[in-house]
Formats: sequence, C-alpha cells, structure tokens
Amino acid sequence: MADGTPSTVPEIVRELNARFGDAAFTLQRTADGMPTLWVAVERLQEVLRWLKNEAPKPYKMLYDLTAIDERLRKNRLGQPAADFSVVYQLLSVERDLAAPRTAAGDLRLKVALQGGTTDNFPHLPSVTSIYPNANWYEREVWDLFGIVFDGHPNLRRILLPPSWKGGHPLRKEHAARATEFDPYQLTALRQDMEQEALRFNPEEWGMKRGTEEHDFMFLNLGPNHPAAHGAFRVVLQLDGEEIVDCVPDIGYHHRGAEKMGERQSWHSYIPYTDRIDYLGGVMNNLPYVMALEKLAGIQVPERVQCIRVMMTEFFRITSHLLFYGTMAQDVGAMSPVFYMFVDRQKAYDVIEAITGFRMHPAWFRIGGVAHDLPKGWEQKVQEFLDWMPKRLDGYRKACLENSIVKARCVDVAAYNTAEALEWGVTGPGLRATGCDYDLRKVRPYCGYENYDFEVPLGHKGDIYDRIVVREEEIRQSLRIIEQCMKNMPSGPYKADHALTTPPPKDRTLNDIETLITHFLQVSWGPIMPAGETSFMVEATKGINSYYLVADGGTASYRTRIRTPSFAHLQQIPSVIRGQMVPDLIAYIASIDFVMADVDR
Amino acid sequence: MDLTFYIAATIALFATIMVVINTNPVHALLYLVLSLLSVATVFFTLGAHFAAALEVIVYAGAIMVLFVFVVMMLNLGAKTEDQERRWLSAPAMVLPAALSAVLLWQLGTQLWPRGYITAAGLQEVTPKMVGIALYGPYLLAVELASMLLLAGLVAAYHLGRHDD
Amino acid sequence: MFSWITPDLIAIVWGMVKAIIILLGMVLTAAYMIWLERRLLALWQDRYGPNRVGPLGLGQVIADMIKIFFKEDWMPPFADKFTFVLAPFLAMSLMMLAFVFIPMTPNWGVSNTNMALLFFLAIAGLAVYAVMLGGWASNSKYSLLGGLRSTAQTISYEVFMGLALMGVVIQAGSFNLRDIVAAQDGLWNVFPQILGFIAWVPAALAVVHRTPFDLPEAESELVQGYHTEYSGMKFGMFMVSEYVGIVMVSGLTVTLFFGGWDAPLWFDRIPGIGAFLGEQIPFVWFAAKTFIFMAGYILVRAALPRPRYDQIMSAAWLWCLPIALINLLITGAVVLWRAGA
Repeated sequence: MADGTPSTVPEIVRELNARFGDAAFTLQRTADGMPTLWVAVERLQEVLRWLKNEAPKPYKMLYDLTAIDERLRKNRLGQPAADFSVVYQLLSVERDLAAPRTAAGDLRLKVALQGGTTDNFPHLPSVTSIYPNANWYEREVWDLFGIVFDGHPNLRRILLPPSWKGGHPLRKEHAARATEFDPYQLTALRQDMEQEALRFNPEEWGMKRGTEEHDFMFLNLGPNHPAAHGAFRVVLQLDGEEIVDCVPDIGYHHRGAEKMGERQSWHSYIPYTDRIDYLGGVMNNLPYVMALEKLAGIQVPERVQCIRVMMTEFFRITSHLLFYGTMAQDVGAMSPVFYMFVDRQKAYDVIEAITGFRMHPAWFRIGGVAHDLPKGWEQKVQEFLDWMPKRLDGYRKACLENSIVKARCVDVAAYNTAEALEWGVTGPGLRATGCDYDLRKVRPYCGYENYDFEVPLGHKGDIYDRIVVREEEIRQSLRIIEQCMKNMPSGPYKADHALTTPPPKDRTLNDIETLITHFLQVSWGPIMPAGETSFMVEATKGINSYYLVADGGTASYRTRIRTPSFAHLQQIPSVIRGQMVPDLIAYIASIDFVMADVDR
Repeated sequence: MDLTFYIAATIALFATIMVVINTNPVHALLYLVLSLLSVATVFFTLGAHFAAALEVIVYAGAIMVLFVFVVMMLNLGAKTEDQERRWLSAPAMVLPAALSAVLLWQLGTQLWPRGYITAAGLQEVTPKMVGIALYGPYLLAVELASMLLLAGLVAAYHLGRHDD
Repeated sequence: MFSWITPDLIAIVWGMVKAIIILLGMVLTAAYMIWLERRLLALWQDRYGPNRVGPLGLGQVIADMIKIFFKEDWMPPFADKFTFVLAPFLAMSLMMLAFVFIPMTPNWGVSNTNMALLFFLAIAGLAVYAVMLGGWASNSKYSLLGGLRSTAQTISYEVFMGLALMGVVIQAGSFNLRDIVAAQDGLWNVFPQILGFIAWVPAALAVVHRTPFDLPEAESELVQGYHTEYSGMKFGMFMVSEYVGIVMVSGLTVTLFFGGWDAPLWFDRIPGIGAFLGEQIPFVWFAAKTFIFMAGYILVRAALPRPRYDQIMSAAWLWCLPIALINLLITGAVVLWRAGA
C-alpha cells in the first residue's frame, strides 16, 4: 500500500514501549513499513545500548547512520519538529532468521535536532562506544551535515578533503551544481597546500611514532597503489613488515551522489545509481526503483520481476568474476584474471544484447524495465550457461586448490560472525563466517522465493572462505539464471500504473488527457507522493539500500545510499592488526570493494 | 699478473682509506666492499684462487651484505654525516695516524731484514690442497672454529627470539 | 713484416672475438627473451601479446629499446645520486659477468677456469648489492622494503644454493664447468643429483627474482619494489639484467644438471644428422635445452601465485637447506664408498 504501514504494531515497538514507556517514542509511518521511532536525544544512548545488549534477539548491527536536513521539508507528516534529524537504522539478524520473510529485523530510530546555522552546530552524543562502526558514519554526518557528535574519538572530515572550506554539502543551503561556484583552479601553491594537508600525522590518530626500542615505519599505501582497487589509501604503522595499526582513508572517489539525487528527477537519477557500485550495473538500479515502487504503490508484473532477477544475477556473476581474478592477481597469480575477463566479456555480450549497454545499462525503470527482452535472448543466455561451468571448474583447480593460494589465504585476516555484525559487514563477507544471512532467502524480493538455489556459507571467516563463498555464488547465480530463462513469464515489461516511468504510451494517441499526463511525466518527471521509503537488496558486495525521502516533488528531498563497501573498509584495522603487509593486500582483495561504492 | 697485482693493491689501499674518511656510512661500506674485492684480486694474482673466491663469497657477498643491510635499516640521515664530519677533523686523526705508523714500522722491521718476503704466485693453491690442509694438520682449529660458530649461532638465536 | 703476429696473439684475438660474439648473442637473447616472455604469457593467458611491430611482433623489442633510450633520464631529487646510478650498472654487469663461465660447446665459452662454479657463486653473492643499493638509494619506503626483502631472501637462498651445487662438484671432482659437463657423459647429473636439483631450482629462481620469488618487486604489494623510482635506461638495465639472469641461470642449469652440449637420449646415435650435430654443432643441444628452461621460467610465472615473504624464508630454511645437506651427505658417502671399493 501507499503508506505501507503494517496493520499491527511491530513486536519491537511493543518491546521498546514496555521497556522505556510509551512516552519515550513517537511512531512514524513510512512507506517501506519499517518500524520508525523518534526518540529524545537524551535517551538515545540508553535505548541503543538496550537494543544492542539487553533486548531479546538483540540488534547487533548498526546497519546505517545518516541525517536529514529537515529545514526545507514541507510534508513532515506529523513528525516531531526538527531542523535536522539523525537516523539510526539497526538490523537484528536473529530476528530476521527467526521470522523469515517478515523483515522483522529492521528498526529505524530518529533523533530530532535543533539549530542550523554554521556557528551553531547541532549536537548529540556519539554512539561509538555502543556501536564501533558508528565511527565513520558519524564522521560522514559531521562532514556532510555539520552535526557534532559529542564524545566521538576523532571527529574529522572523511569524504571531503581535510582542507575543505566549502562547508557541509548536504545541507540545503549548500549549492548543488558546479555552475554555482567559481571555476575550480589548482595553482601550484594550492597543490602544495593540499598535498601538505594529506601528510599523515600519527599523533592525530593516537599513534606512537615508536617504542623505546625502535621506531615504527609509516607506509602510505595509496591512494594510487596497484593493489588498492581504486583511489583508496591506507596508512600503515609498521614494525618491520608487521602491521601494528592502520588508518584507512577514503573520499578520493567522492562525487556527491547523494546530493545529486536532490537535483535529478526521480527518473533521471537511475543512471547515477549505476555508477555507485560500478561493477554492479543494474544491481544498483534495483534497490532504488524498488524503493520508489513501494512509495508509489506500484506492483510490477511477474515478467519484470523475472527479468530483473536474471539481469542482476548476471551482474553478480561479472562482479564476482572480477573479484575472483583480481584476488588471484593480488596473491601473485598472474593468469586467472585474463581468463576471467574473457568470461566477463561473454556475460557482457549477453547483457549488451538485452540492454544495449555493457557495464552501466541503467536499464531498470520505475515500474518496469526499459525494453522487453529481444528476440532470441534465450539462445544468448544458454550459450553463456553452457560456457561458464566448465571454466569455473578449471579455476577451482588453478586457484582454489593451489597450495600457495591456500597458504596465503587460509586462516589469514579472519573474523567471526559477532565481529562481522559489530562492523556492519554484510554479503559474502558475512556469510563466510557461517552466518546464513542472504536477503534473497530471508526477505525474498522480486520473487526470489520461487527459485531453487542455495546460499553458500563458509565457517572460518578467513580470506579463503570468502573466495569459496563467492565462487559458489557464481554457480548459484547460474542456476538462478537458468531457471529465469526456462520459466520466463509472458506479459508486459512495465506496470500499468500512473507513476510508471516512462508511462505506457499506448493510450496517449487516443485521448488528450493521457497525452498531457504522459508529456508532463516525461518532461518534468513523475511526482512521487510525499513519504519515506527504503529498500534493501543483496547486491554483489553486500546489502545495498536506498533510503529516499519524498517531499511531493519531482526530485528526491534526501537520497541516502547505504553501501556495503563503506562498512567493510571501516573494519580493516580491527582485522589486520598484527598481520603482515602481504596479508593486508590479500585481505583488501578479499573484501571486494570498489571505491565508488564507498565514497558515493 | 704483476700489473694486475699492483693495480688491485692500489685500489685496495685507496678504498680502505676512503672507508675511514668517508662520512656517509653506506658509501663507506661500499668502499669496504671494494677493498675486499681488490684484496680478493690480490689473492688471485698470488695463485690463491680458492681464497679469492671465498673472500668474495663470504666477506663481500654475505658479511658485508649484512653490514649494509643493518646500516640501511638505521635510516641515518644528513645529521649523522655532519657528526661524522666533525669527528673526522684533523686533530682527531693525529693519534690514530701515529698509532698506525708505529704498527707499520713494527711490521716493516720485523719482516724486512729476515727476508720473509718471497716471490709470489709460485704455485697455485687448489681447493683440494686447502681441504687437505684444513682437515689434516689444522683439523683441531677447524673443529674449534666450528664450535665457536655454533655457539655464536645459538647466542644469536637466543638474542633474536621474541619473548612472548 | 708480420712477425709480431705470434700464435699467442692470434689465440688472444680469437678468444676476444669469441667473447664478443657470445656477449652479443647473450644480450640479444636476453632482449628477445622479453618478447618471448610476452608472447608465451599471452599464449598461455588467452590473448595475443605484442604482434604489431614487425613479423610476429619481433620488432617490439627494438621499438621498446628505442623508447627506453630516448626517455628522460630522470633521477628523483631525494635519491642518493652515486649509488642510484651504480645499482643498475651493477645489476647488468654482474649478470653478464656470470655468463663468462658457462661453456656452450667443447670449444666455445669465454673463460675456462678451474674455479668457474665458485666464481659464479661469488657473483651471485655480489648481485644482491644491485637490488639492495637500488632500494636504498631511491630513498623511498617501498624501494627500501623491496631492498630489504631481497637481501634477506638472497642471503638465505645462497646458503643452500652453494650446498646444492657441491654434490655436482663432488661427483665431477672439479669446479670447472667443462669437467662437470664431461663427467655427465652417459648419465646426466639430474638423475644422481635429483635432490641437489630440487634445491637448486628455487635458488635459481630466487637469484633472478622470478615468480614466485619476485617478492623484492612484488607489484601488488610493493608497487615495483626496489626499482619503483627508476625510469628510462636505468630501469631498462634492471629489466634486461633480469632476463640476462634468466638466460644465464638456464644455461647454468643445463651445464650442471643436463649434460651441457651433450645430446639427449640416443640422438647422437642417429646416423647422419645425429652424429653431425653432436660433432659439428653441439651448440644446438645446449641452446635447445637452455631454451626449454627459459620457457619454463615463463611458464612458472604464468602458473604460480606468490607466497608470502615469511613462507618463502621458511621454505628455504626448513625444506631446501635440509634437502641440500642430505644430498651432500649422500653424494659424499657414495663417492667415498666407490673410491674405497
């Protein structure tokens, strides 16, 4: 339904009310049906601590933490007054697994903050002592919104450079277009200053330069490094080749994708999503359009669901193949990546035949997909299905069973399920620890419940398990694609709904009213009903979700993109301490991140 | 061979002096390597091919590598060079130079009149001869040396072990 | 009028001519080794490799050489100038020098000395300076780490490389490589000295820093290791020295373990061609065997991942060293037993 509110009060809301009293919370209705509660800033830490440690089937994961600039929002829909709100989204894997298909593990808490001028930053207490992964999220909120988290260990900019003078870009008073600024110029002087600003200063991170016996070496790995997988920098504190500590530094790939969401129409933002996880292709479109479909109340036809599943699984395969090859390359095996790129090209041939593009098709639409499947698509898909499995068998021999690969990967950079949840790890990195949590099974979307496939699990949570899990996922994806191909339903490739974009055109030439609506929707874009929505999908690298605030306009009021890679990078220091530089390289490769997915 | 000998000997002398007066530790060590190499050449010209090869393998190729290794790790900068330069002032040279002169004179007077200087390169010393000498008359010395080395090895292992 | 032309002089001049021919041949082989590596890797990796310049892409080497000669000879301002220049020269010249001792046929070879193998070990020991100094002089952390790794690795591998070869020496009773080849007439050393060969292969790979022993320049970890800061001709010398090293070590492997110019199996007993090759141009056999090992190096690079640094070191001390020692013990015992009998 359009308001999506469940008819009964969710279990967790009852529990919270019982524990803290009815007066402590204000329930907000959202289109995604996620229990959303406003809590007073004074009680925030208390509530979170209870939820994480004492609640039955606790919320072990801080899934996302972000903020909304509420000052210009017109349709607040009865929410408490606020200049800014900070949003905590929690996830309880236990609740989800106990009650599958109900999304019982979700909880969203909001805090209202007052005060918006730049010399009067809103304040609230930091929750890093409860959820360690709040660290980066709070830094991001400070960086982009100028909200101060009291008690944060190191509240500094994260996505923008430390020398940034332009304020906090996700605030509404901040310009959204480059044309509103003076042209950017990098003079020699400024270049020197920017470089100097990037010089690593161990004291700022509470690191020592040495012990009484010896000095540490500080090695700057990145932002340009062959194994950094993009513009990613880690500063290592080394004792010999052993990593004492390290500081990941991100933001070199930040493009302001969330801000762009506020000035693109709902429809024209789809290509931007493609470039978030640039290896994920249409996988990125999925959570975005699904969130909007929830908001608009669009039910997509079965054929659309099946096409979407097939295409996203294709991209899961290409992304995992790239991971597989670069992983092998990062432990020094030169050849596999070449073979796997051949396979990826085969997959892209199919994708291109269907969507017309290879890496960034931007092919999903609100309420459907861009085109129907072309004639003869089954043959192309079948060719790929015939090609891939025997290649995978070869790679298993060449990579997975290679004793040097095993020596490099087994028991290296391992973490257990509890640590994974603590740091917000999702996707194959979580399943490698043995946690059977795959959204496609736990909360099936797009009709995943109708497919016969397994969720591969590891048990040690080390690098090797992460490779094995992904390798097996490729095989499972092939199974899913085969089922899609064999059981593709007939029917329209777009939902028959007023907000489907671009809307069906059949009737426009018959009556003027439909033509006008069509014209407006194509030129201005659809107008989504005011409300809040979100959708989580099991993307290639972990759980990816879009949290959208609609204010009754043609564009989003706030677009929040929760990406898995951001959380995974934050985990690096806790896993790699005490291991060696080559282990770090293998570990970084095993995370499988792309910096566009981290920095957005 | 004579010419080679003199060239090598000159280089050895020059390089050794440079070891003493060079202020950059790594450069000084490189001169030391050069000095060892030229001494090896001297051995070669004298017919001691085996000793020459061992000199290069053991001294230049292994021991000096470790020296350079350690000095590289110490990350000595311009500061140490300045310090070296100050220490190498002329007054500081006087005493060591005098001491060396005394030693040289003593060596000369001991060797010269007794006619110990004989023509070199009369006979090639093969590895076999070295081996027979080592495991024949000098067996005790070899065993003692090996025990000493073993003790050194054990001590180094003990010192290098992490106590954790 | 030509009385100053003595047989000695002719011998010296002929020796020099031979040396120059061998030098040129070896450098050319090393240069084309680059082409060979790129083509073979491509073949094994499902792609083409350089195939545009000249027939089969053979001109690629020349094009690369021209490019590298004309590149700006840049030196980082923070480098230690003297050592920075010295390092690539050392790398190149030492690897070429080691080639001096390898006999290619009964008559061809630059030097014929009784200490050949020892001198090879000496040169292998000195070769580490090139990497080490290159790493230190660059004054960059990645280079330094590469230099340090290389030093530790080379020193460890040298220990048992020497020991692994001693079995061969005992069997032949000489350090002279010609004697060693002659001693293999009938049975190549690889069979009686199989343990020595097993220990020698990783050591030989380690000497030339090839995968899986390319830790000093492991590009996924240390960018380019000790030659990160090098460019132009100085980098070119490091690179060519690696290939000269491969040619040299392959040649040495053939000499020490695979009978040098000796024809394999019963080939020399084929009437006509076999005898002709064996007697007139035995170089063919040497070259063919060396080529197989050179290709082997490339195959290893295409096939194997890179172990971690500490795994390489423990493999050296825990596996290769005992194997080399056992080999030495057995060889010594057998030789003594035979002498006694």
